[in-house]
Amino acid sequence: MIEPSRELRDACAIVGIGNSRLGRVPGVSSLDLLVEAMHNAIADAGLKVTDIDGIVCRGPDESYTHHQQIGARLGVNARFSTTLDNGGASQILGVALATMAIKAGMASTVIIGFGRDSWSRTHSSKEANLRNETRPDNQLAQEFGPEYGYFGAVAAHAFGATRHMHLYGTTRDQFGHIAVAFREHALRNPAAQMKKPLTLSQYHEAPPVVAPFGLLDCSLRSDAAGAVIVTSRERARDLRQPPVSIKGFGSFNNLRGWFADDNMVTTAAKKSGETAYRMAGIGPDDVDTAQIYDCFTYMVLAQLEDYGFCKKGEGGPLVASGALRMGGRLPTNTSGGQLSEAHAEGMLQVVEGARQMRHTYPAERQVTDAEIALVSGHGGNQVCHSTLILGRA
Amino acid sequence: MNDTSEKPLPHPAPESLHFWQAAREHRLEIQRCNACGQFWFPPALSCPHCQATDFVWAPVSGRGKVFSFVTYHRVYHPAFAKEVPYVVALVELDEGPRLLTNIIGVAPDKVACDMPVKVVFDDCNESVSVPKFTPNDAAA
Repeated sequence: MIEPSRELRDACAIVGIGNSRLGRVPGVSSLDLLVEAMHNAIADAGLKVTDIDGIVCRGPDESYTHHQQIGARLGVNARFSTTLDNGGASQILGVALATMAIKAGMASTVIIGFGRDSWSRTHSSKEANLRNETRPDNQLAQEFGPEYGYFGAVAAHAFGATRHMHLYGTTRDQFGHIAVAFREHALRNPAAQMKKPLTLSQYHEAPPVVAPFGLLDCSLRSDAAGAVIVTSRERARDLRQPPVSIKGFGSFNNLRGWFADDNMVTTAAKKSGETAYRMAGIGPDDVDTAQIYDCFTYMVLAQLEDYGFCKKGEGGPLVASGALRMGGRLPTNTSGGQLSEAHAEGMLQVVEGARQMRHTYPAERQVTDAEIALVSGHGGNQVCHSTLILGRA
Repeated sequence: MNDTSEKPLPHPAPESLHFWQAAREHRLEIQRCNACGQFWFPPALSCPHCQATDFVWAPVSGRGKVFSFVTYHRVYHPAFAKEVPYVVALVELDEGPRLLTNIIGVAPDKVACDMPVKVVFDDCNESVSVPKFTPNDAAA
């Protein structure tokens, strides 16, 4: 095993945090939503746009030259600028890349962000909806899928849920506890897309989509963007906000495929997390709050196991114990997550993890005395994973 | 006819042409490495086990078991409106590779992980047949 760099532990910090309007924001493109989030992050940091000399960002899957379009809208050139291609794992990878670029002397102040307009593009017309359902991106397989009626990310993840239920006796009731806990958190978040309470029986009554998943196992289609700004620890001390230290990060990519090996049950989160824990010099027992990539309920359960919060196969009892709720053993997705706040491919999980480390929330939203936050990113064709560990500076 | 009401047919990549030609003749053939002897799927021009490029298209038993499966209740594509609920499964062949497919000839709520299955061919039109799987009661 290679050893992650200890020099990067606490070397950089998040100094600006922002999000766009979330949920249903008709008439605003994904690019302008992201610029809105970036402007908010820059203002939060007390910086000027011209202080930014690095951009790492991402948008909807079909975006080309995305970072160039964002730079044009911000009106800045950049020493370091690129777009990533790891799906929902890209956003944490952006924070990691920013840290590496800063330590390499390639940039001083890097903004990372993701924005999408999924609510608007799904609901604008029937034709748009069909196109979105059957051709979610230009990497769609032309064989070994569509001819069998196999479409969409719901089914891909549902395969993992079926297998986990078979191996460990995991139940839909346990998945439901995840959806209910995150909805409770969303109700404390005025910006969240979902505004109504959710009970376990309502979870069970929701229509099936691709079994074992029903509607409430699935994350939201949102117009949403988030952004954070990373700079060196030294520079962070001179800025307006309490810095949030980047303690460690990791990534792993099960490129042999979601359907290969046991990847749909033991995900790439396991090895990604091991790297991040080693860089940060901590273990799962040190984590006070987790912000887990919750594209579907099952993925939360699988990742909690992979990150070592319980043994493989014991995620069901863990989530049913109430551990994920505010005041529980591991308050998780404290903004409501992608299931109930808004879905911006993991970017809002970075935003929430960083905000928890500032201790500026009202008491009902703040994880008490939280010193360490773990954030996860998952995506691509279910095989790319990234992990970020944040701490109080 | 509205073109969105027709089921999508496979559009083979160059390396997959043999698979679909064999399927048209109701034979399930998978690439087997002449260097290490292992099978692989989906089709590619080099072995993911040993990187050799010397292979044959070998007939396989058509028997395997359900590794995992999902049941579509929602219509994603209008051509499948009459099919729901239908089962999409990952079948692990006795020879090792896993194929995405449908399980047919059995009620969706009777499908289970590790259930033995065998291949059957669904003739979509005069030139395309798609391998699907059905319970292999003889192995149960």
